[in-house]
Amino acid sequence: MKRIVPVLILALLGCACSLESAPLVASDVVVSKPRPGMNMAAGYLTLRNNTSQPIIITHVASPQFESVEMHESVIEDGMARMYALGDMRVLAKSSVVFQPGGKHLMLMRPVGEFDTVTLDFFAGRAVVLTVNVTLSD
Amino acid sequence: MGPRKFFIATVAITAIAFGAWLSFKMASPAPVPQVATILPVAGELPEFSLLDHNGDPIGRDVFKGHWNLVFFGFTHCPDICPLTLQVLADAKKQLAAAGFERLPRIVLVSVDPERDTPEVLAQYVGYFGDDNLGITGDLEEISKFTKGLGIWFQKSGDGENYSVDHAAAVLVINPDGQFEALFGAPHEADNLVHDLPIIMGRQ
Repeated sequence: MKRIVPVLILALLGCACSLESAPLVASDVVVSKPRPGMNMAAGYLTLRNNTSQPIIITHVASPQFESVEMHESVIEDGMARMYALGDMRVLAKSSVVFQPGGKHLMLMRPVGEFDTVTLDFFAGRAVVLTVNVTLSD
Repeated sequence: MGPRKFFIATVAITAIAFGAWLSFKMASPAPVPQVATILPVAGELPEFSLLDHNGDPIGRDVFKGHWNLVFFGFTHCPDICPLTLQVLADAKKQLAAAGFERLPRIVLVSVDPERDTPEVLAQYVGYFGDDNLGITGDLEEISKFTKGLGIWFQKSGDGENYSVDHAAAVLVINPDGQFEALFGAPHEADNLVHDLPIIMGRQ
């Protein structure tokens, strides 16, 4: 029994880790429906890097949109500006938050009708995360 | 109680009530806005010749007869512009729910007339409420209007995905068509709900 308990604890820890130890995890994912007459939508989410190395997102793509860009809105001295972000570095054991009024995904030129959006996050040529999300109002 | 005593008691109670009312009035000064800046003197608007979202020609008189919340933005702005218009719409809903009767009209003045035709604006402003107003037209005429109000904007980037940097303030234009107050960004519905009745109560 004395030997079994530590093994059980390790096994349980192993289970807990496997749930949370995907290298890159997305949460609070929201993609708004394109506004009437508009050919674009905004996407928001939190990216969590569970590894001990930085993960660099080079670009994002979606089969439902012709183009996806990572942008950041800033208000400086009363002026609203929007910048295209280059590579997005998610530091080790850290999160990057995309939220209204800040970093966001700009999804441009929707392709056809759809209720669910797939987002593929790339590090170079490799897809490091795929997220499916239902469009919200 | 004889009539004399009754008279004295009535006078005493009235005096106490008046004193209490007076001290209450003196202790509670007129409410002040928590975010908005009210102009010392409401400003006349610059003249302009533009189009509303129905394509009808309009000038500065279009603001008369309504309280107006005026935001300068563009429909190809995915984040700040819909966020701001939603905040304005939410504030308006909260004011309506609180029984406020003179609800302000939400106005979007496009700083991107190249893409924002009246048809595009009509769909866009309609999404945020029924009686909203969209304004677009000739770029030079838009600039005449914005420069006269100290509102700055500039095209940023090239190609079809260009953006427009623009002032993020919300202007309050009164029913006489005068620039009365402004809210600086970032905008929150609670601030508008608190400050608008104060601004609008001054007229």
